[in-house]
Amino acid sequence: MSVNMEFRYDKHNKYHRLARSIVIAAISLTVMIWLWWMISIIADKPAIPTPYDTFVALIDLFKYGDPIHDVAISVYIEASLKKLVQGFFLALIVALPLGLIMGRFKVLREFFTPMIEVLRPIAPIAWAPIFFILFTGADGDTTWASSLVVFIGIVFPLMTNVMFGVTKIDPVTLDAAKTLGASDLQIFIKVMLPSTVPYLMNGIKIGLGIGWMCIVAAELYDGFNPGLGSYLSLMISNSSYEQAFAGIILISVLGLLTTGLAEYIHKKVNKRMGVDM
Amino acid sequence: MSDEPKIKIEGEKFKAKDRVRADRTDELYKDIPEGSTLMKIDNLHVVYRTDEKETIAVENFTLDVKKGELISIVGPSGCGKTTILRCIAGLLQPTSGSVYLGDKLCTSPGSDRGMVFQDFALFSWRSVIQNVEFGMEVAGVPKEERHDRALRYIKAVGLEKFADSRIHELSGGMKQRVGIARALVMHPAVVLMDEPFGALDAQTRNILQDMLVKIVEHSARTILFVTHSVDEALYLSDRVVVLSKRPSSIYKIIDVPGSRPRDRTSPEFTELRKTILGYLEEQNVME
Ligand SMILES: Nc1ncnc2c1ncn2[C@@H]1O[C@H](COP(=O)(O)OP(=O)(O)OP(=O)(O)O)[C@@H](O)[C@H]1O
Ligand SMILES: [Mg+2]
Repeated sequence: MSVNMEFRYDKHNKYHRLARSIVIAAISLTVMIWLWWMISIIADKPAIPTPYDTFVALIDLFKYGDPIHDVAISVYIEASLKKLVQGFFLALIVALPLGLIMGRFKVLREFFTPMIEVLRPIAPIAWAPIFFILFTGADGDTTWASSLVVFIGIVFPLMTNVMFGVTKIDPVTLDAAKTLGASDLQIFIKVMLPSTVPYLMNGIKIGLGIGWMCIVAAELYDGFNPGLGSYLSLMISNSSYEQAFAGIILISVLGLLTTGLAEYIHKKVNKRMGVDM
Repeated sequence: MSDEPKIKIEGEKFKAKDRVRADRTDELYKDIPEGSTLMKIDNLHVVYRTDEKETIAVENFTLDVKKGELISIVGPSGCGKTTILRCIAGLLQPTSGSVYLGDKLCTSPGSDRGMVFQDFALFSWRSVIQNVEFGMEVAGVPKEERHDRALRYIKAVGLEKFADSRIHELSGGMKQRVGIARALVMHPAVVLMDEPFGALDAQTRNILQDMLVKIVEHSARTILFVTHSVDEALYLSDRVVVLSKRPSSIYKIIDVPGSRPRDRTSPEFTELRKTILGYLEEQNVME
């Protein structure tokens, strides 16, 4: 019995395209792990554990928790995510109305733009020492200090995207709404808000990626609170490098999941809003 | 869009509070008999000002629109047809001159002057039926009623299979059907159409012209129809207004005899077309 083993790549078949990108990604990651392995062998330093040792440490981390305090890793993850979510919603509450009115009123845009341009180039983490002094609770709780670093990271992309969205509204749709008798408030709610949603989603997508980086960075300063960043600095100061690398991998995976989710929602929303991509 | 020159239109701004927000504004004028003046456009002047120069777009445009008639406005490209419609719609404040609907001075946009846009101007985040429902929604028409009415108009324009489609799934001709349904469903006192079929191919154009004729014959409408196709103007309208070159004022008004649907190949039709094309030709000669 002869089996036809011939396979032809068809770029118009979406499963072929998917399989192709999966294969390439797998090769890419394999090469990366191989490089890491080579480097760790050649360098032969405890600070660069091999992928295998890291993998074992990662499994142990989920099985037994962190080896110093015996705290389950889920506690660290939860704490980091909580700060991310807090910072994110705070940024949303501030950026959405500000972005909308700045997009809507040119004077406000002109007024706020210099402030934003001056503040924006400052790395969010640069604020961390100040926030830890100012916003550490009486009980030593630093959750809000870290969340504020995230806030700084997210608020600017969010605000500028919303603002941009408002200025990009097709004026003819506003005309259409007016000739259909919509009031200014109705135009705001039924035309302006929906047309900025894709831009808002884009801001959220970018913001969450930045926010996740900010949270880990902020937690490096944070001795009090659990969190993946503080876990990392704890392990390093304890010379538990395998555990530290396991934490880094965890950070990467969680970051990918966060932005992947945002990307997915962004696509869905754009489709729903009739935005071509 | 964003690097368009800054425009300043002379005159004070329209106030939003004057905006008419109601559905079936044609009822407000039911005491005016068919064939009497419904809308008076009085001596419109529009001057566009940019940083570099002033452009007089419209000069001395005066026209009485009778109830129930379909008037076409034809004129050379860039002569100011869109500008005139936007003034009537209240989207643009004329430098001077006024528009009266009945005896009411129109000072801002409103649902009594519905508009169909050349580039459709649909709400891309809404489905077909949600687009058609928009005006009734902001006028506070109850949900059930507006759904039923929207569906009736969607059927009338032949889109019943696409009521729940998203806008980006439609072809250009289908989009303009939505635009027409969205304007007509409100029963505005006057419907303004700015080259509604200009972006469409000849065949789709003919189909939509016939569709419009059917709708107009079915329910009396007062329509101001801008086009640059003489053929289209003659096929659809009771009167054809020929504009002069910019600054546009009225050059000639031609009465089109005979009831719709018309025969495009009849001798009278051909004769009228020749006349109007002649008038347009004269515009080009008078440099
Ligand atoms: N916003 C504006 N700023 C400055 N000039 C303008 C503006 N809008 C229109 N004009 C000018 O006014 C004139 C009339 O424009 P309008 O759009 O009314 O012409 P139109 O007859 O509708 O043309 P078309 O047949 O190409 O649609 C044109 O010369 C145009 O350059
Ligand atoms: Mg035009």
